Amino acid sequence: MLKPEEAQRPYTVTELANEIRRELRPLTAMLVKGEVTGMKQGAGGHYNFSIRDGVSRLDAVLFADDARRVTTLPEDGQVFIFRGRVDFFGKTGRLSFITDQVEFDDVGKLRARLEELKRRLELEGAFATGRKRRLPFLPQVVALITSPTGAVIHDLQETIWERYPNMGVVVYPVQVQGAAAPMSISRALRRCNEEGLAQVIVVARGGGSFEELYAFNTEIVARAILGSRLPVVTALGHTSDRTVADMVADVEARTPTEAGSRVVPKKADLMALLRERERRLDRETNQRLLRETEKLQTKRARLVQVLPAMVRVRVDRLAHAAANLARLSPVQQVARREEVLRERARRLAAAGTARMTRARNALASRRAPDRLERALLERFATEQRRLDHLRQQLVAFSPEAVLARGYSITIDAESGRVVRSAAETAVDRKVRIRLATGRLGARVEQVEP
Amino acid sequence: MSDQLTYEQALEKLDEKLKVLEDGDLSLEDALKAVDEARVYLKVCTERLEAARKKIEVRPEPTE
Repeated sequence: MLKPEEAQRPYTVTELANEIRRELRPLTAMLVKGEVTGMKQGAGGHYNFSIRDGVSRLDAVLFADDARRVTTLPEDGQVFIFRGRVDFFGKTGRLSFITDQVEFDDVGKLRARLEELKRRLELEGAFATGRKRRLPFLPQVVALITSPTGAVIHDLQETIWERYPNMGVVVYPVQVQGAAAPMSISRALRRCNEEGLAQVIVVARGGGSFEELYAFNTEIVARAILGSRLPVVTALGHTSDRTVADMVADVEARTPTEAGSRVVPKKADLMALLRERERRLDRETNQRLLRETEKLQTKRARLVQVLPAMVRVRVDRLAHAAANLARLSPVQQVARREEVLRERARRLAAAGTARMTRARNALASRRAPDRLERALLERFATEQRRLDHLRQQLVAFSPEAVLARGYSITIDAESGRVVRSAAETAVDRKVRIRLATGRLGARVEQVEP
Repeated sequence: MSDQLTYEQALEKLDEKLKVLEDGDLSLEDALKAVDEARVYLKVCTERLEAARKKIEVRPEPTE
């Protein structure tokens, strides 16, 4: 029981809590060794766990910022040396070891664990060369899983573009060190495969100590590499032993430069190779064409020699065929028959004429008297016709005809002469006048010479 | 057929054609055909070399 004079104003809980924190302040930069248990990641990336030995147990926390800096993430059952300070959280009333660094207590033990992992993977055939994926001969895009800062990414890009100026590069920035590194790397590997932007993956880091390369010896990263559909090339520097990641990778390169030259061919080499093929193709084509041209020329020369003969033979055959055709043609057949008939008709006519001529001649020679008689008759007829003509003339000229037209004839009655002029008669001479019909006896009364 | 070929496959085809051409056992028609095909493969190879597009893309981790 407190006496009144001794009575103090009581602390508030907060005041006491603050007092406790003050008291604990010397417990800073402490190193404590213990086994990890109850490891879990809380909101905001903080890790909560307990550190214990056989007797005691201490709550511990690894804040996200520190978790990124630590070389390794504590795992349950492992013994680590933790560096940090002790702090009291008034809100929860709990005392906690604020861890800012984690170191392996026993690297030998860790190596033993690593060997055990390797043995398991080996049994699974994870390292077998037959399992390894072949790198694409010519990718179009290369994925780089590495720290976005530093020389590694720069060297990789330099190498890739120097070899292949139009190569695509996609960078997946990851934490290559620290507690979050294994998860970060394995997530990036999965995203690479899911997104399919690249045809090959390079996982790179600029070397480091065994502890610094811890992430690449974790099963989680090894499994992510094994599970990758895309081929994976590791380039983890040349300052340490091979990591499990190197062993399960499809190609293991030491440096970023080596990795770059493994994933990307030298474009200039490929182009030179294609040019060489093109030259061979051109040469082959030219030679072949030359050879064929020569062959053709030889053949042409031979053709020129044999052509006239061939043409002659063909012309003959053609003519023959035409003749055959003509003979067989119905029109031609009719025409030919007509011609034959005409020919026969000509011959017949000729023969007939000749025959008749001959016959006539023969007849003529045999019938000469007839001819004479006919000639005479002919002559008679002619003469008859002349006579008739003459008679007609005579009739026309006869006095009767003239008298009929109105003329008259005066005849001297005594002399009986036709008086043609007045002077041939005289007054009182007796005359007879003949008319067309009848006669008149008259005496001349007047003479007018 | 040549659309699906990679650079490497097209180069292999090209070399096959070159070999038969250089062996010289082909008839003129077959040889000319082989030359045409070889040229197609040569073109595919060249196209594949130029198909890549220089770029750099950064795919940051999605924040949780």
